[in-house]
Amino acid sequence: MTPGGWDTTLSKQRTQDLRTDYWSIRPTDAYAVLGTTEQGLSEQEARHRIRKYGYNELPEKGFRWVQVLLRQFKNPVSGILFASAIVAGFFGQAEQSIVIVAMILLATILGFYNEYKAEKTVQALRQSVSLKAVVTREGRPLEIKARLVVPGDVVSVYVGDVVPADMRIVQCKDLQINEAVLTGESFPVEKTSDSLDLQQPTPQQLTNHLFMGTVVQHGSGRGVVFATGRHTEFGSISTSLAESRPETEFQRGVKKYGTMLISLTMALVIGIFALNTVVGHPIIGSLLFSLAVAVGLVPELMPAIVTISLSQGARVMAKKQVVVKRLVSIEDFGNMDALCTDKTGTLTDGKIVLKDYWSLGGARDPRILHYALLCNTAVAGDKITGNPMDVAIWEFAIAAGIQEQIKSYASVDEVPFDYQRRMMSTVVRKNGELTLITKGAPESVLSRCKYAEMAGKTAPIGSVQEQIDIRTTDYSGAGYRSIAVAFRKIDARNSYSVEDESNLTLLGFLIFTDPPKKDAQQAVAQLNKMGVDVKILTGDNELVAVKICEDLKIPVKTVIRGSDLTQMSSSEIRSAVEEATIFARITPEQKLDVIKSLRANGHVVGFMGDGVNDAPALHEADVGISVESAVDVSKGAADIVLLEKDLSVLADGIEEGRKIFGNTMKYILMGTSSNFGNMFSAAAASLFLPFLPMLPMQILFMNLLYDVSNMTLPSDNVDEEYTKWPRRWDIGFVRKFTLFFGPFSSLYDFLTYGIMLFIFGASASLFQSGWFVESFWTEVLVIFVIRTRRIPFITSRPGKWLTVLTLSAVAFGTILPFTILGDFLGFTPLPAHYWVLLILMVATYLLLVDAGKVFFYKICKF
Amino acid sequence: MTPYPDLMVFWAVCISWSALFLTAVSIYLYLDSRKSRRQGAHFNRFGFLRDFVFVWVLLGLLGLYIVSIDRGSSIVFASGNVVVEALLIAYTVKNRPREEQEIEKRKRASENAMRIHVGKTP
Repeated sequence: MTPGGWDTTLSKQRTQDLRTDYWSIRPTDAYAVLGTTEQGLSEQEARHRIRKYGYNELPEKGFRWVQVLLRQFKNPVSGILFASAIVAGFFGQAEQSIVIVAMILLATILGFYNEYKAEKTVQALRQSVSLKAVVTREGRPLEIKARLVVPGDVVSVYVGDVVPADMRIVQCKDLQINEAVLTGESFPVEKTSDSLDLQQPTPQQLTNHLFMGTVVQHGSGRGVVFATGRHTEFGSISTSLAESRPETEFQRGVKKYGTMLISLTMALVIGIFALNTVVGHPIIGSLLFSLAVAVGLVPELMPAIVTISLSQGARVMAKKQVVVKRLVSIEDFGNMDALCTDKTGTLTDGKIVLKDYWSLGGARDPRILHYALLCNTAVAGDKITGNPMDVAIWEFAIAAGIQEQIKSYASVDEVPFDYQRRMMSTVVRKNGELTLITKGAPESVLSRCKYAEMAGKTAPIGSVQEQIDIRTTDYSGAGYRSIAVAFRKIDARNSYSVEDESNLTLLGFLIFTDPPKKDAQQAVAQLNKMGVDVKILTGDNELVAVKICEDLKIPVKTVIRGSDLTQMSSSEIRSAVEEATIFARITPEQKLDVIKSLRANGHVVGFMGDGVNDAPALHEADVGISVESAVDVSKGAADIVLLEKDLSVLADGIEEGRKIFGNTMKYILMGTSSNFGNMFSAAAASLFLPFLPMLPMQILFMNLLYDVSNMTLPSDNVDEEYTKWPRRWDIGFVRKFTLFFGPFSSLYDFLTYGIMLFIFGASASLFQSGWFVESFWTEVLVIFVIRTRRIPFITSRPGKWLTVLTLSAVAFGTILPFTILGDFLGFTPLPAHYWVLLILMVATYLLLVDAGKVFFYKICKF
Repeated sequence: MTPYPDLMVFWAVCISWSALFLTAVSIYLYLDSRKSRRQGAHFNRFGFLRDFVFVWVLLGLLGLYIVSIDRGSSIVFASGNVVVEALLIAYTVKNRPREEQEIEKRKRASENAMRIHVGKTP
């Protein structure tokens, strides 16, 4: 099995017809079986088959505005508000009901607008990718959109093409396919048209099949399509992603918070209603008052504030080349503490390069490079195409300026590469002398060598075997791949075959590597500094992965191979994933296991990958990260798409995610604690006062005004130390915060009651006005204290818009009792003397909360 | 004469209750945090008193508020608040988180370095 490849048997969905064993039939029979001929389908038949089988495209989870709209109501906060509006309306309190509905609408419109805009951006990104295919129809080759390919189409593929559908090969020449998108293996697979005698083969064994999404690396071929769209192997992986996604940690946190809020609200509503009724207040009045208190406790704009935070963050991240597809993942992006990443193309350039070449005896014989260039199938034109190793040899030669030195050689014949021999040979002529050059896997070439050249002298291969073994093992241990080059003088002949590949003289070795990205080391170090543990999940072997880690200075704690994982129980895997840095030779299913185990251990897990085989893991992780150049199915499964395959943009994104999380938490902590305090004192006052401390409409209006003042909270500055480490949703912390900071607000509410009752001897209306202003001032201004752990304004400045809007809201709340609207709401102008006391009282309150904050953060870590 | 003399006791109970509830929560959180720290950590009586400064201030404020409201004296209320505010400002400045102080120090150092650099520029 190919490393990292499918380990499943053929997907049940692969075929759209009854047959599945296309590998066993002869190429010529494939035409008849699929109802076509060498001339291809007729246009009419192609149209008929499109109607029958559908377009050759993967089901995309489109988005509809209705779904986006409905999503806005899927939270407990909306439920509480709706219930309150209905009850208020039922008891004839139309105004109260209208204010609550206005709150719901405000939250919904804001949330919908931001989420819809973000979805549109992502859709535009998806639509920018469109593939073409060359098909033969009615005997003529045509270039058509890949989505129009149907079963029975005869498709031709050439170097660089992306295979448009699953096909049975009917004809090919030196065809090599890169199946990395399906298997994760970056080395190409050779294909033939020969029928195979296999029982229940794995897809990797199907050397006469071409699979959708794979790339032609070398040669050309023709095939008859037997499966399109979601019926292909590529499609079957993508279809598995249609299942609903697991909730992110942030979503789970919001849910827990909602549950806590509902319990608190229910307890307060029942308690206030029961006590008010017991002390003899009218039943309906008590019910409406308790409902208003419940609504006052609910942070109704929370969904909107969260969406605004997220979409603002998404816009900032887009400027940094990071496209956010699923807004809710941003918070988890910031809180991520484990990043699992593929190796190829993420930590490495994803491109094989020739690092060096060596010959026995230490000298670097230039003939090794000359011969490797002569025994080479890459096509060097404007662009060099072909087998990645051959391309790497050419690129090295061009960079070294030695490609001209082989012009004195004339090519005579070639014995092509095949995967049984794992080598190829060419016969070249120079000055009338013929030389057979063989290049291939070291063990294959060495088995055909009789001699070795060492410092210009020829020695029997046996005498240098130990030296060869030591060096090849060293290179292999260092994560390099080697290719051996050998030669022999040969007589002129009409043609040459594999039998001529014998009695060779070993000349030396070529060393290849997929080098680490230049900025990867810095990016990984930065991620570690930010508290993100980087783990490598690769289909490649462990030696290569360890070498990359060494190059990037990633400390490797443990290496776990796919074969080790299969021996482990789930609890053993859960404990192993904590220590392991590298997971080598693992299958897509094992990638899933690793991610699930890390999540089960309480980590917020990010996964970065770009192949089809990465899609399930991208789907499972809290944050799936892909790149713009990735296959569509990967991009589809990802939450975040990097427009540049660059790890350094990740750190920017994480920092942005942490800022968003920080601002969301500010809203939650502040809203819950100050609302809790206010509503608690309202409930207590309703028991001993001869009138309601605040009318239901006044409570609702204050709540609406308070929420509007918080609209710019998402743009607030976040202290540097807050973004240093990943934070977690900790409902216990929210509870402690509420329990601690809530009573501060109650204390000052009671103080206001005292001032209004015993200093001013206030009437109901004056009392309500006085408490409204005090309550509003304290509730709104406390944001400047709670938003930071530092000294407000002096060492931590709030955002400009937050300051402006908060102070404007305070000003509005202050003048409200003097306006017509205030009169309508039942307020009375307050005496000048009260304002002096209020200013002193609120200043003491804010300073006391700040002192309490110092105490609280000393003992409660978050 | 206040029209609500009979409410004074209810009011005093309510405001005292909220201050005492806050004190109780503070003690609970403090003990909870000590429990989660390593076992056998030395209990520092002076540290305990210092950590609870805000609670002492809170209880002092409670006394001030009850007395001033009971007497109906705005002067006592206002002057008491001013004194407490001064105390709280001093406490907050003195107890800034260490992390914040380090960041400030770093910032100041980099600003100084920048100033020196700018000074050297011809």
